[in-house]
Amino acid sequence: MLGLALLIGLPVVAVTGLLSNDAYQPGLGVNALGRDIHGPLDVYLFGWLTGPSWFYAFTQGLHVTLGLAIFPIVLAKLWSVIPKLFEWPPVKSPAHALERLTLALLVGGALFEFVTGIMNIQYWYAFKFDFPQAHYYGAWVFIGALVAHVPLKFGTMRRSLRTRAEVASVTAHARDGRAEESVLLSPNPAPASMSRRALFTAVGGASTILLLQGVGQSVGGSLRGLAFLLPRGHTRPGPLGFQVNRTWRSINASLASVGDEWRLTVRGRRTLTLSRDQLLAMPQHTHALPIGCVEGWSTTQHWTGVRVSDLAAMAGVSGAATVTSISLDHGTYGTATLGHQEVSDPLTLLAVAVNGRPLPLDHGYPARIISPAIPGVHCTKWVVEMRFEELT
Amino acid sequence: MKALRARYGGGPGHLLATLACFAIAAAAVVGWTQRPQDLHNVLLWFAGAILLHDLVFLPVYSLIDRFTISRLPQRAIGYVRVPLLIGLLVLAGTFPTVLGYGASSEHHASGIYEHGYLARWLLLCGALLALSALSYAARGRRVR
Repeated sequence: MLGLALLIGLPVVAVTGLLSNDAYQPGLGVNALGRDIHGPLDVYLFGWLTGPSWFYAFTQGLHVTLGLAIFPIVLAKLWSVIPKLFEWPPVKSPAHALERLTLALLVGGALFEFVTGIMNIQYWYAFKFDFPQAHYYGAWVFIGALVAHVPLKFGTMRRSLRTRAEVASVTAHARDGRAEESVLLSPNPAPASMSRRALFTAVGGASTILLLQGVGQSVGGSLRGLAFLLPRGHTRPGPLGFQVNRTWRSINASLASVGDEWRLTVRGRRTLTLSRDQLLAMPQHTHALPIGCVEGWSTTQHWTGVRVSDLAAMAGVSGAATVTSISLDHGTYGTATLGHQEVSDPLTLLAVAVNGRPLPLDHGYPARIISPAIPGVHCTKWVVEMRFEELT
Repeated sequence: MKALRARYGGGPGHLLATLACFAIAAAAVVGWTQRPQDLHNVLLWFAGAILLHDLVFLPVYSLIDRFTISRLPQRAIGYVRVPLLIGLLVLAGTFPTVLGYGASSEHHASGIYEHGYLARWLLLCGALLALSALSYAARGRRVR
């Protein structure tokens, strides 16, 4: 029963996770953050798309929300099969030994992925490794073990759902101390002190609460308060109070660097240097676009700025081109590259204002990228340079 | 085929599935080696997750249950265990926030210093226990 819930939920978490990897477009610029993406496990389902604009906020919200919600089911499943860890004899045949090793990968993979994911979305970076890489390849260990485990155990699940042998046996044991033989049962169980219904109530209750936490931080608006146990369950007041993923203070840049001396360098077939006033003099466009964070929260705001495609045209770039935006922030995501489909999309802006006001420093003043359906960290803030590269 | 079954203890499908699983895991380890400075810690966390869960957390919560809740009167057990279990499972998904481990990085990233998560979680547990007590009382009245 728990197995069936996981059989449906885990593939969704896995697929949305792989989609997130696609959304980062690791084949462009330094988006892969140093990862070699030509290994056998670096799989890309397709490029990335620019619409609908909420697509990444949705798939990543689903990844995190469903991941949170099925963690209790994973733990309950592990609890229910723990007697198998101590079965005797520990090894019956080579097949049995290999199968137990795949189980170690399955359990280890699951715990590793869930724990690192849960820590990462809540800013506890206690692990001394690079999260995206560790979580990405860890996912493959888990997916590989799951794909091997499901066909090996599908019969057991079907049998136990159909015959309800485990249920019948536990019930019989509770009634007259006589247990039937069944693979999933503890060989020497203590008297049952918790009904199946109570276990499912507890697991289902915890899953529902965690699901609502995820929904709250992903959907936002009036539902945001549901995420009362997560960092993104609250908003600062006012039209500019929406969530920040990297504050101005944290990048250690000088105020002078965004003052009158700030210039945007645009490189294409020719190089231009634009002041903020020159940007403001260009045609301005306003679009409602979400910031969809890999951490599973999102927030949709009204952004105003110049079309990135207009900047490309000004730099003499006509065909399909990618753009690499460079920030005053020299941290991990200080440089990010958007694909040609984002560059040509009329919704992709170099924003100078949000919700009708100039961008605040925390949201990337003087100018930031905003583009539909891309991971939030690729919406580069405090942009000082944009490099267009035509595809050949 | 019979010889395989006799010696190996499973069919060819079983062998193929397990070998494919190991091949993928090996490729993942190769992926991790791209950052040699990380590899040691990744493997440590991977193995540590299994050992901590199977040999520490699970026995500890089972034993605590056995020596506390299990000793309550039989008909009250479920009414204590279910709300506490919900609270603990919710904590399993939110512990970095509830226990404040992520607070300083969160402040750095978001610019907000939010606290009181532990109190909210305790309130949630309290509410669940109260709800459970109410349904226990309601059941007691029905039985009588």
